[in-house]
Amino acid sequence: MNSPQLEVRGLCKSYDEGRIEALRGVSLSIAAGEYLTISGPSGSGKSTLLQLLGGLDTPTSGEVLFKNAALGTAIGLDDYRAHQVGFIFQAFYLLPTLRAIENVQVPMLAVEVVSDDRAERAKALLLEMGLEHRLYKYPNELSAGERQRVAIARALANHPSILLADEPTGNLDSVNSARIIEMLIGIQKRRGMTLIVVTHENEIANSAPRHIRIRDGLIDGRFQS
Amino acid sequence: MVSQLSFTGSAWKNLWRRRLRTLLTLGGIAMAIGAFVALVGFSRSFEHEWMRMYESNGTDIAVIEKTFLNTSLEESVGVKLRALPVVAQARPMIFNLMDLTPEINALVFGWQADSYELDSLTLTSGRRFRDGQPEILLGEILAANLNKKAGDTIEIQGTTFTVTGIDHGGSALEAGAVIMPLDQLQQLSSLEGKVTAFHVRLRPAPAGETQEEYVKRAQAQIETALPGLYAVPAAERASNNQVVLLAHAAAWGTSSIALLIGILSIANTMAMSVFERTREIGILRALGWKRWRVMLLILTEATVLGLVGGFLGLGVGWGALRLLSALPQTASIVSATLSPWHLLEALGIAVLSGLAAGAVPAWHGAHLSPVEALHYE
Repeated sequence: MNSPQLEVRGLCKSYDEGRIEALRGVSLSIAAGEYLTISGPSGSGKSTLLQLLGGLDTPTSGEVLFKNAALGTAIGLDDYRAHQVGFIFQAFYLLPTLRAIENVQVPMLAVEVVSDDRAERAKALLLEMGLEHRLYKYPNELSAGERQRVAIARALANHPSILLADEPTGNLDSVNSARIIEMLIGIQKRRGMTLIVVTHENEIANSAPRHIRIRDGLIDGRFQS
Repeated sequence: MVSQLSFTGSAWKNLWRRRLRTLLTLGGIAMAIGAFVALVGFSRSFEHEWMRMYESNGTDIAVIEKTFLNTSLEESVGVKLRALPVVAQARPMIFNLMDLTPEINALVFGWQADSYELDSLTLTSGRRFRDGQPEILLGEILAANLNKKAGDTIEIQGTTFTVTGIDHGGSALEAGAVIMPLDQLQQLSSLEGKVTAFHVRLRPAPAGETQEEYVKRAQAQIETALPGLYAVPAAERASNNQVVLLAHAAAWGTSSIALLIGILSIANTMAMSVFERTREIGILRALGWKRWRVMLLILTEATVLGLVGGFLGLGVGWGALRLLSALPQTASIVSATLSPWHLLEALGIAVLSGLAAGAVPAWHGAHLSPVEALHYE
């Protein structure tokens, strides 16, 4: 097997001075271009795992390696998030004062993309998401499904190699849910990206070639596929 | 043309989303900068007019006592002063600020009737005053404000003076001042035998010596001959006489308080803005924005507030100076001119105020944990 793109070793994360243990020693390898789903009950630690994989937070112990380099030490978390990772959240998290096309440009400001390129690249991504008629709309003028598609375009803004989605369909109806998952899988295949989706929906969990289930801060071996 | 998002554009949008708060903050900083522009501008124009007066009457050196504010020296010092080889003329003088009517006050100068300083004035009507007589000259602005002409009388501190002439001086100070015989002002001020300063005209500088070197040498000679007294070049005296010093101190003191209030108003706005946008800051951090970039965004917003407020403040300050220069109470000592340097200084202070006010909110915003900020309700 080739060396993994992402690897976690003995990952522990606790909160509230150790009183709450969200993760209790998770180890996992993820290959480049893999599509992986993570499921589990509420409070199982699946979102915490995704946050650590995305460099949003640091583990209490253990480490996350990106191409064999430890996050937070060998690679800066800000640089990792800016260049390697695209986030998609359940609540979309678009900036309300910016139009759709401007929201997509926000990550580009973090990596000094030439200003002329920013708007063009954002437009191309929104067209790819089928939002050519919504470029200049503010988030409150968009439907939930459209907001999530803008968020996906934003996640792709800096050509990341990993796409992390935390309950991306949690605020969507079934039609939009299916469309968003189909869209994410399409992007993953076309771009050869690594896609990791946290979900509590079995249908989505089972849509991936590999599915792991987290329970009480540990990977539940019985459900690894 | 597709919509391009710029860093400063983003900062402006953040400010504009809370229009009322932003406008109120801009109002606060505009008033603070306006106060600075008007008050410090006023005190500087006062100093400038003082300098113009010295230049127009040809005073090279003022001899004063070594005290900070009230300088009062013996009139008899003039004899020793005039005996010095570098001194061409040495004239005693007093100045004071007096109420002429309940609404109008003015600088009052006491000069000798044959003082060289009177030669720099052009009389637009009437004649000069005489020593020992209750007579005065009125500057033309003051005469207009008092509605007085040559031949009229005016009561000053219980004594009736005859206006012998109206003068047009070399500076706004003289145009707005009363000039009376030295002995009369000594009596009015209970300063018989005392003067505020001696104004000295030097003999021409000898060949081979620059004017600056010559004035320095004359200073040293005067101070050696008259221990305990200062010989101050006219330019320096213009900036450090007691009235100008008081005007500067009052202007800076009041402006500092106004600026502090302005800074607190920006700080409050930025702190509230950061607090309300906690989740958005978390989003920016999740999207790879480094701490310094988040800090820069917040500081940019604070600086924009300072700069825009500063520009508004220039208008407020200029308007206030125009008003002061038109009011009879202050017209004699205020000219509505602002130097470019003073305007730049005001804008610089406005920007620095913004930066100072934004520093703590920016630091706080930049150090939010992305995860905690994203989950902030």
